[in-house]
Amino acid sequence: MNNIALKELLYKIADDQLILGHRNSEWTGMGPLLEEDIAFSSMAQDKVGQSLAMYTLLHSLGEGDPDTVAFTRRGNQFHNCVLVELPNGEYDFSLVRHFLFNTAEVIRFELLSTSSYEPLAQLAKKIRGELRYHTLHANTWIRQLGSSTEESIARIQASLNFSLPFAMGIFEASPHENELIESGVFAGEKALKQRWLAKVEEIIHQTDLHLPDLNTVEPVPGGRVGKHSEHLQPLLDEMSEVFRIDPTAEW
Amino acid sequence: MNSLDPRVNRLSTNTYPVPNEPTAPLDQFGTFEVFVQPKGDKPFQHEGIVHAPNLEMAYVLAKEAFTRRFVCVSLYVVDTANVAASPITEGDVNIYQRIEDRSDQPGEKLSYEIYHLTRRGKQHVHAGTVQAVNAQDAMVKAKHQFNSGKGICSVWVIQTKNIRFTLPEEKDLWNTLPEKKFRDASAYKGGDKLSVFLQSKQKSSDHSGHSDNADQ
Repeated sequence: MNNIALKELLYKIADDQLILGHRNSEWTGMGPLLEEDIAFSSMAQDKVGQSLAMYTLLHSLGEGDPDTVAFTRRGNQFHNCVLVELPNGEYDFSLVRHFLFNTAEVIRFELLSTSSYEPLAQLAKKIRGELRYHTLHANTWIRQLGSSTEESIARIQASLNFSLPFAMGIFEASPHENELIESGVFAGEKALKQRWLAKVEEIIHQTDLHLPDLNTVEPVPGGRVGKHSEHLQPLLDEMSEVFRIDPTAEW
Repeated sequence: MNSLDPRVNRLSTNTYPVPNEPTAPLDQFGTFEVFVQPKGDKPFQHEGIVHAPNLEMAYVLAKEAFTRRFVCVSLYVVDTANVAASPITEGDVNIYQRIEDRSDQPGEKLSYEIYHLTRRGKQHVHAGTVQAVNAQDAMVKAKHQFNSGKGICSVWVIQTKNIRFTLPEEKDLWNTLPEKKFRDASAYKGGDKLSVFLQSKQKSSDHSGHSDNADQ
């Protein structure tokens, strides 16, 4: 087994979860209604918790301890896709991002549940229940807002159009793609993207929304190799503020 | 606005004028009743309400609002309008004494869920299911099937088909990562940390107090 390929895979999954978890947690106390505020915050915590589990796997492969890895790297050392680091803006965007990302996340972990890297397969099975809720939440909201009022449909559609180029960045191929596939660790970004598209289409077709032809969408890659938007570093600075003041602080 | 919370400072509140007029009185979501099953061998119990635009959204929002911290194996929701509630009795009066027997009514028998409140301030707990032609009829049927004779001060009746149950394939919603101490306020040991902090402050101010004196 090639550890470099495996670590690259783990890092990008973990960084996606940590950064999106942090972004979504920015809604805590500001959500559109109390119950949704709780639900969205809770899922943000799930994402951060899942990233901790992934960083712990990385630690067992010789990487730094989870706090150090999460709080001390610079932006260009993060492997998350650009989609998850974009600032929140309005709630429709956060919901659409949540939907597009989560659909990929769930399929990724479905594929990983049969990974030849046993600890990862175990973890994939462990978080299945959490991800089922995230899916239920995301799909229900998209169905609801994608077919209720003129304004809600227009807002979700606009956010969908805006987000898709960034969502394509989720599937940026790894330089180790073939090794991962051949060793049975992961089925690869191409397989993931195909299944993702089928699922996204299925949900969008249940609404009054329209999914643009993906061939006309120019993907935004770069995140997987550390090329990020100007929005990531400020997020990291804010997230690691306490850690930088006092690395021994517990909270 | 200038806040210690950077998220607040980022809000572009100036671009969204706050309307001066109050919103229309009915411009709100309706309420839905949430029932939770704490363990496989325990009955469902009423846990609270959520606001939502429809039954499915209510289910989604109820799941995190009521079961993210505590042990739970299942959950269901129903529109508040679909709950038929008896009055609540005072003292030791059993509510079923107030429900008069009626002869069987004609009509199609439907399935109704029955819930008992055994003490004021407690929760309604599922008592069983009856077949009846309507909610009133269901209370009469419940009186014969589930009346233990005492300690029941209110009855709720819900037609089974109005409930959004947890589907069998959704049961693993509560099969989550077990390491969730961060969801438990006591796990942060906030009180302990505060007293350590206050003590250290006390010490340093004692210390600086001495040096002030020494300077004088």
